[in-house]
Amino acid sequence: MVPYETAAIPIANPPATSSSTTTTAISKPPEIDGLLAGAGYKVRSSDLRHVAQRLERLETAMLNSPSQHLSLLASDAVLYNPSDLSTWVDSLLSELNQSQSLPSLPSDLSDLVSNPTALDGSWMDQQLPPPTAAIHNQQPSQLTVVEEDSGIRLVHMLMTCAEYVQRGELSLAGSLIQDMQSLLTRVNTGCGIGKVAGCFIDALGRRVFAAGGGGGIPGSAYETEILYHHFYEACPYLKFAHFTANQAILEAFDGHDCVHVVDFNLMHGLQWPALIQALALRPGGPPTLRLTGIGPPSPDGRDSLREIGLRLAELARSVNVRFAFRGVAASRLEDVKPWMLQVNPKEAVAVNSIMQLHKLLAGPGLDPAHRPAPIEAVLGWIRSLNPKIVTVVEHEADHNQPGFLDRFTESLYYYSTMFDSLDACALQPEKALAEVYIQREICNVVSCEGSARLERHEPLARWRERLGRAGFRPLHLGSNAFKQASMLLTLFSAEGYCVEENEGCLTLGWHSRPLIAASAWHALPETAAVSPDVAVVGGAVM
Amino acid sequence: MVVPLNTWVLISNFKLAYNLLRRPDGTFNRHLAEFLDRKVPANANPIDGVFSFDVIVDRATNLLCRIYRPSDTDEPPNVVPVIVFFHGGSFAHSSANSAIYDTLCRRLVGLCRAVVVSVNYRRAPEHRYPCAYDDGWTVLNWVKSRAWLESTDSKVHIFLAGDSSGGNIAHHVALKAAESESGIEVLGNILLNPMFGGELRTESEKRLDGKYFVSVQDRDWYWRAFLPDGADRDHPACNPFGPKAASLEGVKFPKSLVVVAGLDLVQDWQMAYVEGLKKAGQQVKDLYLEKATIGFYLLPNNAHFHTVMDEIKKFVSSNC
Repeated sequence: MVPYETAAIPIANPPATSSSTTTTAISKPPEIDGLLAGAGYKVRSSDLRHVAQRLERLETAMLNSPSQHLSLLASDAVLYNPSDLSTWVDSLLSELNQSQSLPSLPSDLSDLVSNPTALDGSWMDQQLPPPTAAIHNQQPSQLTVVEEDSGIRLVHMLMTCAEYVQRGELSLAGSLIQDMQSLLTRVNTGCGIGKVAGCFIDALGRRVFAAGGGGGIPGSAYETEILYHHFYEACPYLKFAHFTANQAILEAFDGHDCVHVVDFNLMHGLQWPALIQALALRPGGPPTLRLTGIGPPSPDGRDSLREIGLRLAELARSVNVRFAFRGVAASRLEDVKPWMLQVNPKEAVAVNSIMQLHKLLAGPGLDPAHRPAPIEAVLGWIRSLNPKIVTVVEHEADHNQPGFLDRFTESLYYYSTMFDSLDACALQPEKALAEVYIQREICNVVSCEGSARLERHEPLARWRERLGRAGFRPLHLGSNAFKQASMLLTLFSAEGYCVEENEGCLTLGWHSRPLIAASAWHALPETAAVSPDVAVVGGAVM
Repeated sequence: MVVPLNTWVLISNFKLAYNLLRRPDGTFNRHLAEFLDRKVPANANPIDGVFSFDVIVDRATNLLCRIYRPSDTDEPPNVVPVIVFFHGGSFAHSSANSAIYDTLCRRLVGLCRAVVVSVNYRRAPEHRYPCAYDDGWTVLNWVKSRAWLESTDSKVHIFLAGDSSGGNIAHHVALKAAESESGIEVLGNILLNPMFGGELRTESEKRLDGKYFVSVQDRDWYWRAFLPDGADRDHPACNPFGPKAASLEGVKFPKSLVVVAGLDLVQDWQMAYVEGLKKAGQQVKDLYLEKATIGFYLLPNNAHFHTVMDEIKKFVSSNC
């Protein structure tokens, strides 16, 4: 066994000259070992010795296990949050101890277990998104050197223009926009940098030339739904969001006979058929399911919420799930009051928010009535519902910075990556309409301000803080959710998408850039003291 | 021989986690590996004077590189070294965006006032020899042709560097550059605890087997996962100066800096590599650190770390 220092505690913070802990990695309170934090692990310096001893125990336990056993453990055990080393080592130890008390398995069973197509949870077979035909890696023709140079020039001009806007020099910005528009004619706007640049130039134009401040792209709720649906089909971000949230909700509902899902943005109800079918197949039988779908009021007498509810009810009937639907029409989430949801204290409640919470973040000091940001109030009433689980999916980006240039730069990188991922989609018109969907988001981030700017995306680290302050504690998503999400992506999407684990949350990104983050939470009962304990979804590992 | 506590925790954690990932049948639990790997995104905002961004070099294979650059505060110097870096992981583990390697690459930027290009090469066992070498070769060509990587003399000043399997890849990419008539000049190779081996069991392998985080058994597993089916460890990828390898005499091979850790069981192979280069008339400096274990260069909490960083800095500046 390699001996380690038994004397003084090592340096907690690296010396300034060789410091390289990135602030984007993980936030680091002072008692955390700074060097390990730079490697992605959170361990308190005072715990190091204890963790080391547990690692020694773990090594001994592993040495006493046949290697086949270890592989089985690795495939079967659900593991959580590897950044929290102390808990991680302890959970491995307890998994190993538990499994060692079972009789050893015959060797042919391990072949089955290591077969990657043997998916857990037979419900996945029912509602896998249809294999998007002919999805292949599109290989755009090699950029000519001229194009590459023009592309780089466009980016520089975009940044300069954004700087002019930030400084209020709108006439300079305006003439640069015209220059960029003419440069655009020499660049392929069908893909790559040309396409993204086109969107940003357009958004800047709306901001600079629009009369009366802020020119977003107008559109009806109906249009938004259509675009959303095509975005759903063209790339896996929403499917991942739905799948991951459903997985967590399913586990949270385990053992409950009356369950109620509150969906903050029903749209076409795309998320729910899979959950209904999974509940139908639950060992012990399905619970009674209530679904409350929130959405904008429909114009011209249609009740689109009700129509979707009826379709879902039909599906539920066909699989023998007792189901009730209620639609709550509200133009803004902050207009919803908890009494409208008619939550019954006996039911297990899941609150599901896919890309909605960021719309509640008012900019600082913009509201003349000085009302607090709606986010606090909404988080407050969510908590008052005492939900078993709150599933949150948000863009993994900081598009809510006060400075325009910072916001612009960040969104340029973010949406470039997203467009790049969309390039791999071969389905039309899904791809074209998905691009329009994204373009509208870009426009909102870049050309709108005040209450018109709804797309106020904030990164996971900030959501963790907010939700923590509001009295929510994380429910960690584990290696099983990770594995299934990864496998689905391999089967149904272009290569290049990647799932990552981030301290109990999962992110989906394109190549190495995470673009959306999925997390799950539960609320401590309001009378309970705030405690740092963390639960895990579906398991009792702690 | 004592290892700082946090280094011990870090490397032991890797060791035990890796034990879970290698299956006796030679397959690898890739999902769990990716779940466990601590990754960091690129960051276009400078942190401690370094910013990074990712680039797809080859769409067909999804070959990605992470580029690290110093944020320009002063006048950029006339010559900017470009270090093409291959992360370690015994050909199977880690990625260019692994936190430990992101940290190491950032250090190299500050140390050498260099641009670092970290290659996200394809890994074993899903992609065996020669995929990693091919990816390295692709990136080398790509780097050579980037105008924005040129120094004021309109040339790209290239070094290859890597630790563990990355060191092995650096050797083979340099060899390919030297043997092909590409005209690509590599100014220097920096090999940190490079991964080499052979059929013979050397004295250091027997003496240190299982003693300092690494065992002969796991080394064998990784070679079986990387080398072509049916090959043995005297395959030239593994044993570049072994019975099956071609001679390096007369080859215009770059100068090398080879760092060997005295507690690494593979050291006899690494010293044999150094000898092999010398016998073939190549220029090589070896730095033997008696009390160092594998991974000593990952955390700046030991004297060896600082010694090696100084040597790397000198090597790059004097060969640029």
